[in-house]
Amino acid sequence: MSAARNLDRTLAALADPTRRRVVELLRERPRRAGELASAFRISAPAMSRHLRVLRTRGLVEEERVDDDARVRVYRLRREPFDALSLWLRELEAFWSDQLEAFGAHVAKRRAEAQRGTR
Amino acid sequence: MTFRSSTDCVRATTLVPADPAAAFALFTREVDLWWRRGPRFRQGLGRSSVMRFEGEEGGRLVESYTDEAGGAFEVGRIKVWKPGDRLVFEWRGHNFEPGLVTEVEVRFERAERGTRVTLEHRGWDRVPLDHASRHGAGASNAFSSMIGLWWGDLLTSLRAHAKSREGA
Repeated sequence: MSAARNLDRTLAALADPTRRRVVELLRERPRRAGELASAFRISAPAMSRHLRVLRTRGLVEEERVDDDARVRVYRLRREPFDALSLWLRELEAFWSDQLEAFGAHVAKRRAEAQRGTR
Repeated sequence: MTFRSSTDCVRATTLVPADPAAAFALFTREVDLWWRRGPRFRQGLGRSSVMRFEGEEGGRLVESYTDEAGGAFEVGRIKVWKPGDRLVFEWRGHNFEPGLVTEVEVRFERAERGTRVTLEHRGWDRVPLDHASRHGAGASNAFSSMIGLWWGDLLTSLRAHAKSREGA
């Protein structure tokens, strides 16, 4: 059940407006931690906590750039988002199947009513 | 890298041959007749059951079990009940943490040859963080049950879904 567990972790990590916005920004391109902090009205330590949540749950990864060990760039990892897309597609299929069944039921009732009035 | 535009809402829509008032009545009062059966669609892991909207606003959507063990599962409270127009109810999986609910909204709009029914399922953004962290202890979790059931026959259902779209 590790796919489900990972999905729960992904959803939980995204259950915060700031972290969702961080993910939005990282969709465009990788960014430095400082750049992310300044894009929000929150302190660097607060941003760092959000990034840690995203990192420990596997949504982002960090890498050092150039020769400067102090500079870290955050980028999205593809896997958790692929798994999430797959699950959301399955949920869409679930409700599409349900609405299809509902449509068939309405059509059946209408046909019965038409037979009754003939 | 491509992503869905929205991760916190799933939408489905269909056109049914009835006016909005009749479509709303059939959707709610005859829910058990059209709601698909089996472990993929009902909560009781294969137990035979009856689905029912009890009451109107403030009422609830319930799945009652018709086997010897009996009992019932409350899927969620009815939040909006506007016949012929709009229905909103909460949606819980049977092993969600207490207090964790998602939400389903169904809109009925008059169309040229019937009613356009649009369903939105949302609320993933309410999954609390500590919820996921409790997995290690073997505690119940929000989505694993639904996912477990769906994951298993994922390919089958996706294929069937694609086929039904081809035929449509």
